[in-house]
Amino acid sequence: MEFFLQLLVTGVMLGSIYALVALGWVLIYKCSGVLNLAMGELTMIGGYVCLSLYIRFSTMMSIESAFLLSVVGTLFVGLCLGLITERLFLRKMIGEPILAVIMVTVGLSFFFKGMVFIIWDTDTQVFLPRVFPIEPYEVWGMAVGQVYFWSFIAAMVLMTVFVSFFKYTRWGLSMQACADDEMAALSLGVSAKFVYALAWGIAFMAAGVGGSLLGNINGLNYSVSLLGLLVLPVVVFGGLNSIPGAIVGGLVIGILQNLSGGYLDQFFPGGIKEIFPFIFMVFFLLFKPFGLWGWERIERV
Amino acid sequence: MSSYLPCGTYHESYRDEQKWWRTPFIKGKMGLMVILALSLPLLVRLDWVGGEWLSVAYTMNYYILAALGVQLLIGYCGQITLGHAAFVAVGAYCSTYMVLFIPWPAFMVDYGLAYPLSIVCAGILAGLWSVLFGLPSARVKGFYLIMTTMAAQWITVPLVITQYVSQIGGRGVALSIPPGTIKVGPWVIDPSNDEGIYLFSLVLVALCLLAMGNIARSKLGRAWVAIRDNDIAAETMGVNIVSYKLLAFFVAGFFAGIAGAFYISALSFVSPEHYEWFYSLLWVGIILIGGVGSIQGLVFGSAFVVLVFKLLEMGVLGLSSGLMDSYPELGWVTTKIIFFKESAFGLAIIFFLIYEPNGLAYRYWQLKNYFNLWPFSYTGKGA
Repeated sequence: MEFFLQLLVTGVMLGSIYALVALGWVLIYKCSGVLNLAMGELTMIGGYVCLSLYIRFSTMMSIESAFLLSVVGTLFVGLCLGLITERLFLRKMIGEPILAVIMVTVGLSFFFKGMVFIIWDTDTQVFLPRVFPIEPYEVWGMAVGQVYFWSFIAAMVLMTVFVSFFKYTRWGLSMQACADDEMAALSLGVSAKFVYALAWGIAFMAAGVGGSLLGNINGLNYSVSLLGLLVLPVVVFGGLNSIPGAIVGGLVIGILQNLSGGYLDQFFPGGIKEIFPFIFMVFFLLFKPFGLWGWERIERV
Repeated sequence: MSSYLPCGTYHESYRDEQKWWRTPFIKGKMGLMVILALSLPLLVRLDWVGGEWLSVAYTMNYYILAALGVQLLIGYCGQITLGHAAFVAVGAYCSTYMVLFIPWPAFMVDYGLAYPLSIVCAGILAGLWSVLFGLPSARVKGFYLIMTTMAAQWITVPLVITQYVSQIGGRGVALSIPPGTIKVGPWVIDPSNDEGIYLFSLVLVALCLLAMGNIARSKLGRAWVAIRDNDIAAETMGVNIVSYKLLAFFVAGFFAGIAGAFYISALSFVSPEHYEWFYSLLWVGIILIGGVGSIQGLVFGSAFVVLVFKLLEMGVLGLSSGLMDSYPELGWVTTKIIFFKESAFGLAIIFFLIYEPNGLAYRYWQLKNYFNLWPFSYTGKGA
């Protein structure tokens, strides 16, 4: 039982990072209808940007403020990259068929991956000096790594910020309007281009923070982008256009991943932990083809 | 998308109109292509050409075979797949294990029948594996279907093949095939015999493209195109969409299996790293660059991608060896060439989709019509 609870708590904390990245994905999909397969690479870019900023800053100030500052820097770089990407590539694809748009994001993912490895090399890099000490915290009698704990806090804070931005600010409301009915939003004076740009900026920011947190857990290398790819089972589970779905889906996938790693690994040695969300997703889709809270599309000929 | 015939060419029966090669000019063109393809092994013996172009040519043929199934699923049946490398991997492993571990009777080995038989079996097994992951297509479509095909990739290659299948025989993850094992008839096909690989790939490509072309203009192909254009309308017209979709997955998997089983002869080993997700995406990129829903487009796309990779490699290597003397600090470029390739390929896909969304096949179609209708050519958009 204690083992189970342990896995559960760690799963929730890992899942909160997935939920954060999935939130960015769902925002893009809701606002502009783009199915983004480059999310893993965005996560990786965020991690590497944060790392190089951290290495610069950590020589100048204390570790905590250096890390905070580099996360803020990552947010800024992510925003700029998101706006540029949207302007250069995605805006031209508005209204094109679904496969074309998906493949543009795939092309982006190749481009970003190649660029990341050209700039930062393929070796695993770690945050040195360590941002979070190894000694675990005690939470209700269970040992929880400090990395996981603070990642959970950070993901929760950022998620609250993003959701309240979406719900209560003027820009967020225009994004909601655009997601709901683009034509109506346009006729009421909402600029769709601005909304798309904003959505990509936010997605890059969310993925960037997710990447810097994931990079703190196991170090940064290509596998971070595979973890970022896990956002796809998350959003499919929750339903493509549901923000609560993304958050719940992130937590559930995080828990499932940890439980499968803990219990199934003895029967299926090897990479079951990374693959299990995909297996789960296939079976889930057979029973609920639109995820938990996704909109069912009713088609006419 | 059939092109216009030149002025003054008429058909007197439907049979004539349905022919593959309809005019003497087309016959001559195709004949020339066959001669050119067959003479490539002689051509590369010339000093200024170089033998490595033969391997470029059979890599292109491999890409054609592998992307054929993707073209079928995406271009003809409208089922987007992003996990085709999984089925290629199934074919490759099936063929390897059949050749290596089945105690073949002596005459099968002597006459080189084991490998051709294993290619057919690999195709069937890969087809069945593909049907397994095509089953959700009965219920889901669009992005949700893309996710299940992606799951096929992630379940098959990193888990099933790397962790379990490649442990059979206890030789580790990369399984090498002893030289001389892979025989087709009396000919040994392995990396010491580039010409053999090339000619064998040519035969396979010709057979598969012929099969695909004929399927596409049969009842089966018309049903697939109906499903692609609007599946609900197709269902109301009496097309059983579930069975036709599954059949599309089976045939696509069959072609993928053949591709995988062929390529082990060129590699002479199998290892999961040749079937990563990158390749699934590469093959979708090939058909997008070439043109969706066209067999010519498949060939153009494969040729384009292979040539771009090759030229990029030559360019970067030439550049770095030329510059190395004067700028030794640029040496890192050669070590990272694979990432330059990847970035360039990504940008190529993006720019093709933005500026040439109909693919290379559309440009070729325009060019053909320009000459067929000359001097009253109209090369605008539309039929």
